[in-house]
Amino acid sequence: MSMIASLALTLPELILSTGALLLLLVAAWGGDGSSRLISWASVALLAIAGLSLGCANGVAFDGLYKADAFSNFAKALVYAAAAVSILIAPRFFEARGAMRAEYPILILLSSVGMGMMVSATDLLTLYVGLELQSLAAYVLASFMRRDSRSAEAGLKYFVLGALASGILLYGISLLYGFTGTTQFGGVATALGDGISHGELFGLVFVMAGLAFKISAVPFHMWTPDVYEGAPTPVTAFFASAPKVAAMALLVRIAVDAMGPATSSWQQIVIFAALASTILGGVAAIGQVNIKRLLAYSSINNVGFALFGLAAGTPDGVAATMSYMAVYIVMTLGSFLCVLQMRNAAGDAVEDIASLSGLSRTRPGLAAAFAIFMFSLAGIPPLFGFWPKFLVFDALVAIGLWPLAMIGIATSVIGAFYYLKIVKTMYFDEPAPAYAPSASRMENGLIALSAVAVSPLGYLAIPLLGALSMAAARALF
Amino acid sequence: MIGIQHYLVVSAILFAIGVFGIFLNRKNVIIILMAIELILLSVNLNFVAFSAYLHDLVGQVFAMFVLTVAAGEAAIGLAILVIYFRGRGTIAVDDINRMKG
Amino acid sequence: MTNIDIIVFAPLLAAIIAGLGNRMLGNTVAKAITTGALFLSCALSWPIFFGFLSGSTSTSVVPVLDLIHSGDLNVSWSLRVDALTAVMLVVVTSVSALVHLYSWGYMAEDDSQPRFFAYLSLFTFAMLMLVTADSLVQMFFGWEGVGLASYLLIGFWYHKPSANAAAIKAFVVNRVGDFGFSLGIFGTFLVFGTVSIPVILAAAPGMAGSTIGFLGGRFDTMTVLCLLLFVGAMGKSAQLGLHTWLPDAMEGPTPVSALIHAATMVTAGVFMVCRLSPMFQTSPFAMHTVTYVGAATALFAATVGTTQTDIKRVIAYSTCSQLGYMFFAAGVGAYGAAMFHLFTHAFFKALLFLGAGSVIHSMHHEQDMRHYGALRKHIPITFWTMTAGTLAITGVGIAGVFGFAGFYSKDAIIEATFASGTTSGGIAFAIAVFAALLTSFYSWRLLFLTFFGKARWAGSEHIQHAVHAHHDHPEHEHPDEEGAGSDPHAAHGPVVTGTAGYHPHESPWSMLVPLILLTLGAMFAGFLFHGPFIGAEEGAGFWKGSVYFDEHLMHAMHGVPLWVKYSATAVMLTGFAIAWWAYIKDTSIPGRFTATFRGLYAFLLNKWYFDELYDLLFVRPVFAIGRFFWKAGDVGTIDRFGPDGVAAMVVGSGAAARRLQSGYLYTYALVMLLGLSAVATWAMLR
Repeated sequence: MSMIASLALTLPELILSTGALLLLLVAAWGGDGSSRLISWASVALLAIAGLSLGCANGVAFDGLYKADAFSNFAKALVYAAAAVSILIAPRFFEARGAMRAEYPILILLSSVGMGMMVSATDLLTLYVGLELQSLAAYVLASFMRRDSRSAEAGLKYFVLGALASGILLYGISLLYGFTGTTQFGGVATALGDGISHGELFGLVFVMAGLAFKISAVPFHMWTPDVYEGAPTPVTAFFASAPKVAAMALLVRIAVDAMGPATSSWQQIVIFAALASTILGGVAAIGQVNIKRLLAYSSINNVGFALFGLAAGTPDGVAATMSYMAVYIVMTLGSFLCVLQMRNAAGDAVEDIASLSGLSRTRPGLAAAFAIFMFSLAGIPPLFGFWPKFLVFDALVAIGLWPLAMIGIATSVIGAFYYLKIVKTMYFDEPAPAYAPSASRMENGLIALSAVAVSPLGYLAIPLLGALSMAAARALF
Repeated sequence: MIGIQHYLVVSAILFAIGVFGIFLNRKNVIIILMAIELILLSVNLNFVAFSAYLHDLVGQVFAMFVLTVAAGEAAIGLAILVIYFRGRGTIAVDDINRMKG
Repeated sequence: MTNIDIIVFAPLLAAIIAGLGNRMLGNTVAKAITTGALFLSCALSWPIFFGFLSGSTSTSVVPVLDLIHSGDLNVSWSLRVDALTAVMLVVVTSVSALVHLYSWGYMAEDDSQPRFFAYLSLFTFAMLMLVTADSLVQMFFGWEGVGLASYLLIGFWYHKPSANAAAIKAFVVNRVGDFGFSLGIFGTFLVFGTVSIPVILAAAPGMAGSTIGFLGGRFDTMTVLCLLLFVGAMGKSAQLGLHTWLPDAMEGPTPVSALIHAATMVTAGVFMVCRLSPMFQTSPFAMHTVTYVGAATALFAATVGTTQTDIKRVIAYSTCSQLGYMFFAAGVGAYGAAMFHLFTHAFFKALLFLGAGSVIHSMHHEQDMRHYGALRKHIPITFWTMTAGTLAITGVGIAGVFGFAGFYSKDAIIEATFASGTTSGGIAFAIAVFAALLTSFYSWRLLFLTFFGKARWAGSEHIQHAVHAHHDHPEHEHPDEEGAGSDPHAAHGPVVTGTAGYHPHESPWSMLVPLILLTLGAMFAGFLFHGPFIGAEEGAGFWKGSVYFDEHLMHAMHGVPLWVKYSATAVMLTGFAIAWWAYIKDTSIPGRFTATFRGLYAFLLNKWYFDELYDLLFVRPVFAIGRFFWKAGDVGTIDRFGPDGVAAMVVGSGAAARRLQSGYLYTYALVMLLGLSAVATWAMLR
């Protein structure tokens, strides 16, 4: 395949990376005053990259990179989440005098990395994409340089992230050494004729490194601290786009490269899924910081998405992808609501107690927040119920119904703290009112995501179901 | 005769030292950065050894990529450490626990 | 026959509009919509009935929609119209329409009239669903629908604890019956592989004699199925054993009693047995059971009816007794006669109930007949219409000339039991004649106590209230013309006889018109329609196979000895004479009688102690068991180790998880590494 054809397949990444570099020049020349312009330009770039997704389908660079329905599905989600993360940032940072033109560029570069991750069909591309995403993310976490909590979040994320990459790399080196190749297809062939100890070690290490990125238990420890310390728009970004990308990467490597060894990783995934749902549900109880609580919520939700992968069937993978699609809407909506939590002086508040009686001071916001909470808890008729149902349906279909029952039981634990927030908003005595919302765009985004996860979301089932199924079929 | 397994053992020892360096050390974050470099080195050793053993260049190419990324990673790590030090005036590992629970 | 969907769905639509519109619509609009819808249904139903009478209409099935397709189970919702349905259609829609109209007057002072009318229309819809059912599932839907509406209407005055208790009692007792009914439906599906009624009925004769395993033994298939279904009919039609809810249901407003607990819902059991008559016909044992239960109920309810003093309860027991008649008529195979009695009974019993309602209305909600008397001149129209109703229920008439409705239908049943020639038929015949005597007695007793003799109003608290409340009201619709004890000051003393200065007045026309129309039905329904319903040749042409029609029995029925024919008339006259003697001629007789036969009187007055027996057998043990499970099982075990225990455990482990999240980098790295080595070890060792 010619270089040109390969480059054509990587068009979304090319658009984003060249665009990001050009915008970096603009930023260097225009300073922080140009940050609004750069933000909008970045969103436009993401939109263009998203539009260029439709036509790409094939393998590029001699099997290093693959554009297919699966990668397109994941990239569409990633770009959308990244765009929202850029849109909500300026107002947040400007209030603190911390808006830098680099913010949207970092998100763009991170998106390039995520695009590489979901398209990777070689351990090398996987690693480079993952690092590109991570390095940008470390910087984003400590983006508020004067805020010591933000710096601490960045430091913790960096150290633990580096350790995770080390583990991942060690696993990759073992896989390379014992299979003789870095290509997913080659690894799969090598694993097909029996699995040696070295290969098994490599497999476990790679899985562990990726589990860190999706913050599955026991590699979740960084999540609450980083989510709490990072600036809220960055937390929203962390909770959405990289989760999708890492989950897609995990799914692809599990199916494409390790498909023949499914029995070896299936139980690891089941363990991680169960541990994540339980710990995410249990540890969230008693949290007082809303961002920390949402961090545990994301751990909990990733556990549910992993159940789909644990099934190891096209249906299960489709369920996982649908889950991630609905999950990013719910989680972005929740963080948009968190962004509205500002006291009368305009400073951000993160106490759950400050939500008391929100239904009387800001009924619209309270209703939207309640919708997201109910949806995250997976309570029908809200849309969050649907992917949970798909996931458990996939488990039942392959006879893992005891696991499905345990999973459903753990979702009850999760429901506890979601409902507690709703109770705080609707039944507690009102706390001092928040500053009124100043951004029509944020209100619009909240309304849009609330409608999307409301029962109206069920209208999207045919489309979403078909897309996720096509994505899953591309792997099998 | 030094065979592939010797390299693997050395690399595993290096990896273990690196990992232990991260969670046994309670003094200084710089040491953690060094431990991370150690882990990456062990990985590189693995790659090169396997590359020679397999007569396959991919391992060495991978090692070059790892080196490059490690450089960037170290730079970013140090930068974060610097702003952390500016804010808190310390880089003792025991002090980094403003956020917990 | 396309009108059938209008007939069925107009009440539903009206119920929805009136129910949802409620206070927004206002009383008058809601009442007009529901009543209008019912009169429309009624007007469309009669032509169908006449079509079947003249033979110009044939059976039709109108599909509505497919409900369930699952494996072998196919349930489609379609409206079946045949002769049997046509009879029920006119009964249901006519009585319902008149009751709607009647309620304009009766419920005029109520606060939530739209709710009441919505319930009434909803009930009518459910009842129509039941009678047009083409499958057992649809019948069950209607069956539960009328049960629900009945529950809502009995408890309509929900602020009255007794009404709530009665509503719950009706619901629970009906559950017992419905349990049998649903088992019967399951069993039928199991045996026949379908729930479609025509298919089942066509296949039923072929099943006779086969056996089925049930409760560990082998039984005759059709007997088991029929008995299970009959348990359902017993519950809905208040047969002995499951009858206890019906008298208590009188807590509901009187129009409800007339519509649901006299004319329509309680006859659903009879309708069901007739609809499934080819099934019952295959099991002689089930037929005998139906006969015995019906006869026992007729006797039991008639005896209790002689002692009750609440005017509505007397009529309720009378209903119960008449339902017994219908059942044993079906039990001996005279389904035509059963349906005929159902048809005539609907008119005269609705008439009696509405008449009683009119009396109660005029007596300011006093229901105790001991505080009535001498109302003949104050409410003359009510008096004459109720007299017609009494003539109809007691079966007054001269053979071959003219008779009131009951004369034809009840006598037909008595003759059919005799003509059946079986042992059970013979016993039923004896009971039927004796119960007819009692029927005549308590019906005339009711009439005499209410309308004749001296006014005994002063003893009533309701009247006392009314007098005091209206003391200063100058308006009197009737001039002060009553004689006995019209001393206004008597109200303040403990005098039992006397008017207490109260002036009963006739009910408004909205209540009287239905009474008059029903009077026409009570007078002529039997005379006009006895040919098609029970005539030997004419009947077969009318029913056209919609019920099992035994021409042989019908012939035999008309050929019974003369003494059988005249026995009913004889006992009727005897009952009248006793009642006249005891309540007009010498009013001291009842007191002396009860003093002499104290035990028997107490036994009857307490309704054979059924409520007490059930209380002892079921209610108390269930409460005791419930309390035990609540205290020891639920709170002590399940809550402690279940919800409470789990909640404490979850909160505890949450605290532990938060302690683990120490904030230190090395802890996090250690947890990661421990996780990694645990997973690696596990993967190696597996």
